[in-house]
Amino acid sequence: MRKYFSLLFFLLFWLVLAPAEARVYLDINAPAFVQIPIVLPKWKGMNTTPPGLPIKVHEILANDLTLSGFFKVIDFSRLPSPLKEKAGIPTDGSLIEWASEGGEILLVGETAWKPGDPTLRLKFHLFDLVERKHLVGKQYEASPQALRKMVHRIADEVVLQLTGEKGVHNTKIAFASVQATGKEISISDFDGAEVKQITRNQSINLFPAWSPDGKKIAFTSYLRRNPDLYLIDADGQNFHRLTSHLGLNAAPAWSPDGKRMALMMGMGGKSDIYVIDANGDNPKKLTTGHGNEASPTWSPDGKQIAFVSDRSGSPQIYIMEADGSNVRRLTFEGSYNTQPSWSPKGNRIAFCGRVEGRHDIFTIGVDGSGLQRLTSDPGSNESPCWSPDGRYLAFSSNRLGGSKIFIMNANGFNQRPLTSAKGGESSPTWSRASE
Amino acid sequence: MSKKGLIVIVLVLCAGLVFAGCPKKTVVKEEPSARKAEEALAERERAAKLEAEKQAREKEAKEKELARIREEEAQKAKEKEFERSLVAKREPGIAGEVFESKLLKDIHFDFDKYDIRPGDAEILKENAALLMKYPKVKIQVEGHCDERGTNEYNLALGERRANSAKGYLISLGISSDRISTISYGEERPLDPGHNEDAWAKNRRGHFVILSK
Repeated sequence: MRKYFSLLFFLLFWLVLAPAEARVYLDINAPAFVQIPIVLPKWKGMNTTPPGLPIKVHEILANDLTLSGFFKVIDFSRLPSPLKEKAGIPTDGSLIEWASEGGEILLVGETAWKPGDPTLRLKFHLFDLVERKHLVGKQYEASPQALRKMVHRIADEVVLQLTGEKGVHNTKIAFASVQATGKEISISDFDGAEVKQITRNQSINLFPAWSPDGKKIAFTSYLRRNPDLYLIDADGQNFHRLTSHLGLNAAPAWSPDGKRMALMMGMGGKSDIYVIDANGDNPKKLTTGHGNEASPTWSPDGKQIAFVSDRSGSPQIYIMEADGSNVRRLTFEGSYNTQPSWSPKGNRIAFCGRVEGRHDIFTIGVDGSGLQRLTSDPGSNESPCWSPDGRYLAFSSNRLGGSKIFIMNANGFNQRPLTSAKGGESSPTWSRASE
Repeated sequence: MSKKGLIVIVLVLCAGLVFAGCPKKTVVKEEPSARKAEEALAERERAAKLEAEKQAREKEAKEKELARIREEEAQKAKEKEFERSLVAKREPGIAGEVFESKLLKDIHFDFDKYDIRPGDAEILKENAALLMKYPKVKIQVEGHCDERGTNEYNLALGERRANSAKGYLISLGISSDRISTISYGEERPLDPGHNEDAWAKNRRGHFVILSK
């Protein structure tokens, strides 16, 4: 009898004193995940703050959290009175009432600004409603022009707290946009706002690629009746030509350290992969043989380049060392695999594969294993491009009619169009957040 | 040859004979008049023949001259036709004024291919013949693809198509410094349709004249 009593005591001891595991809110690397229900009450405007401002903050924030794909936002308008009217930071005692609609997380905040003031203040607090504890609270001050940036920072912070990695709400996506005269390069915020056209040369401008520091975009333009390589600052300034070898100078891909670019060059009468310095000098041919080579993309450590080659008879994805050596084939399924994009996490490559006459987005491990199909809509889906944190993919899809840029989580979930434009968008490229 | 002229020549010849043959008459026995008449006839015939040949030669020369003039005019007319066929093409976003001509025909390609098919080889021969006639003309060959497939790879395919056509023209004797190439990939379809018909039209090699 004593023996069993000791055993029981030992077990109880172990259960009570064993270290509590950190609560896993969401495993974003899981193939599928359940979205976290988050309650977002009315944002409070302090003192003389115009009433439109906290409404706007709430709108941007709720949208950001939804777009992230990690949350199911429970909007305050769905809450019963008096919760519907409550705004601002609650005292500890009132946390219980917020859990009534199934919310697990509470995000509250306030903003203060007097019209004419050079600075605007934003404050937020994040609470765990299940464990009834405060998670994080921060305050920001900036000019009113930086409002969206500040709100995006709050969303980034919430994502960091609950998924372990910062969000991408301050990143930007550039793409090619059809015009009457050809294609121009445009930039959009991650939430589809602030779309700006940055080239205005009435030419055919293609294949934009953000520099790793997020300040410049390299792209191909037919301005001089040859597909030449150009550079432009993100604000549209400093538009100038980098290379102009007769033939292709196309589909540039920056090395992760920003010092070089890989691109398609046609100097030899066909397309090959070359590497050039970031100023356009010193072209060095990497690919050999009689195939057509296209679409280079660098590994995040800068040591390898994945690209397209039809040397086997059909276009497939290959990988080589950054000096052109050790070429090996990556894709073996399907007869037309193009547009590789190497994940910033290093372990997977996204690409566009043709299936029954349409195109879909796939990802595959860099060792060739774990092929995953992410789209299977009736439309055609092309040109995948990873977010800087490797947790999202941008791509173009014509499922809604015209070609539009779409965003999805890296596991294929939560596919949605980026902008409200009707169509004509292609070739997305994703920048890191501007500071 | 008119009778009058013949008579004149005969008379002249007789006069010549009279002045040339007089001193001989005192030594030699006088020939019978029939033989004299025969010789005169022969001379007449010889003269007529020579005259006829001369006339024929002159006629031939005149005809040759006429033919040459006609050909020259035809050539000029054709040049005018080529000149007249030139349509200027100015695009605000692409540098340079170029010309297009219906006389420089497009060639077409099979899906995913860049080799020159026999029918298109014939078109290239015609285009080459035109380029031979106008040695100052410089052209740019454009390589195009249909909308299927992805943009970057289609750019590579278009590059091959343009260079394929260039290579064939060079093999026909056109100097390579008269031909430049450009790939537009799938970016400039001729037909915006989404069907086999449109796609076939868009898979093309197109020629523009950079300078004449």
